[in-house]
Amino acid sequence: MNSNPHNAMSSDSGPNSGEDTLRLIAGLPAPAGLEERVHKALGAAPRSGRVLAWPAGFRAKTALESNWMRAAAAAAIVFVVVGGGWGVYSRVQPGQAGKVVVMPQPMPSSGGFSGAGAIRTPATIPGPTVRDQGTKGPRDQETPPAKMPAAPKKAATGQRLASPHAASQAAPQPAVSQ
Amino acid sequence: MPTSAVNEEARRRAQDAAISALVDQYAGALYRVAYSVLRNPTDAEDAVQEAFLRVLRHRQTLTEVRDHRVWLIRIVWNIALDRKRRAKTRPETDDVTELARVLPSTGLSAEELAAAAQHHARVLACVEQLPAKEREVLLLSAFEELTSVEIAAVLSITESSVRSRLFRARNLMAELLEHQRT
Repeated sequence: MNSNPHNAMSSDSGPNSGEDTLRLIAGLPAPAGLEERVHKALGAAPRSGRVLAWPAGFRAKTALESNWMRAAAAAAIVFVVVGGGWGVYSRVQPGQAGKVVVMPQPMPSSGGFSGAGAIRTPATIPGPTVRDQGTKGPRDQETPPAKMPAAPKKAATGQRLASPHAASQAAPQPAVSQ
Repeated sequence: MPTSAVNEEARRRAQDAAISALVDQYAGALYRVAYSVLRNPTDAEDAVQEAFLRVLRHRQTLTEVRDHRVWLIRIVWNIALDRKRRAKTRPETDDVTELARVLPSTGLSAEELAAAAQHHARVLACVEQLPAKEREVLLLSAFEELTSVEIAAVLSITESSVRSRLFRARNLMAELLEHQRT
C-alpha cells in the first residue's frame, strides 16, 4: 500500500524522504528483554478481577466450599438489609393528624365590597334602633336613619381623578365610632 | 477435586499459554507501534505492558477475536494515544541519541550520521505538525506489515478514508519539508 502512484514522498524523491524516517521508526528494534518483562508483569498481575479478595484464612479450597461461602455471604447481606429495613419501619410511627383550624365562612355580602375573609368587621356606622315595638307613633315611624354625608358628585359618578391625593381629598371620610 | 474445578483450571492454563504466545509473537510489533506515537522507549514499553494486561483482563474474549495482530495493535494504539494526550508536557526523546541507535551506520562517517539524525528529527517535527487524522494514518502506513484494510480496522474507518487521508498526509508532508528546505 505504500507504493502509491500519487505518493509525493516516494522513495525515488531521495534517500532522505519523510516516509523513510517513519519507516525507520517503524522498524525500530524492540529493546532486549521486552518479552521477559511483559511476562513478568503479567505474572505479577492479579489473576481475578474481583474487587474484594477473600482473606487467606477463609479462602475456599474447593468449588463446593466456595459456593457455600458465597451463598452464606449473600444470605448475610440479605439479612442485614431486610433487618435494617424492618428496624426502621418498626420505629417510625405514623404521623398524627395535624391540628386544623376551621376558618369561619365569610358572610355573603349583598353587593359592594366583600369582607375579604375578615372574621370581625367593626361597626363603623350605627344603624337605626327600635325603641319600643308596642307603641309605634307616627313620629317614631318617621325617624330617619342616620345619613351618610353626601359624596361629591365627581366621585359618585366614577370619573377618574387627577391624582390619588385629589381622590383622598374628594372622597368622604366616614366617622369611625368605637 | 470436582470436574468443574478441573475444567476451570485447564481453561485458565490454556488462556495463559495463549497470552504467552501472543507476547512472544507481537510484543516487538506493539512496541514499535507505541514508540511511533510516544517517541519514548519507556513509555512505549509501558504501553505494551498495559496492552497485555488488558488482554489478560479480558482473556475470556480471546477466542472470539479473529485477527489477534490487528486487535492487539488497536489496543496498544489506543493506549499510546491516550498516554500521549495525558502527558503532553513530557518531552519526546526522538533526538539524535535515540535515532542514532537505529540508523544504518555502515559506511557513514560520524558527521554523516549526525546529519542524518538531524534530518530525521526535522521530519518527525513535520509529522507532528500534521492534522491528527492524517498523522495517524501516515504513522500506521509506515508499518510494512499493515495493509490499508488493517489500518482501517485499527482506526475504525473505511478503507477509502485511509487512502484519502494518506494521500493528503503525504502531500502535506511534502509541502512542509519543501517549506523547511527553503
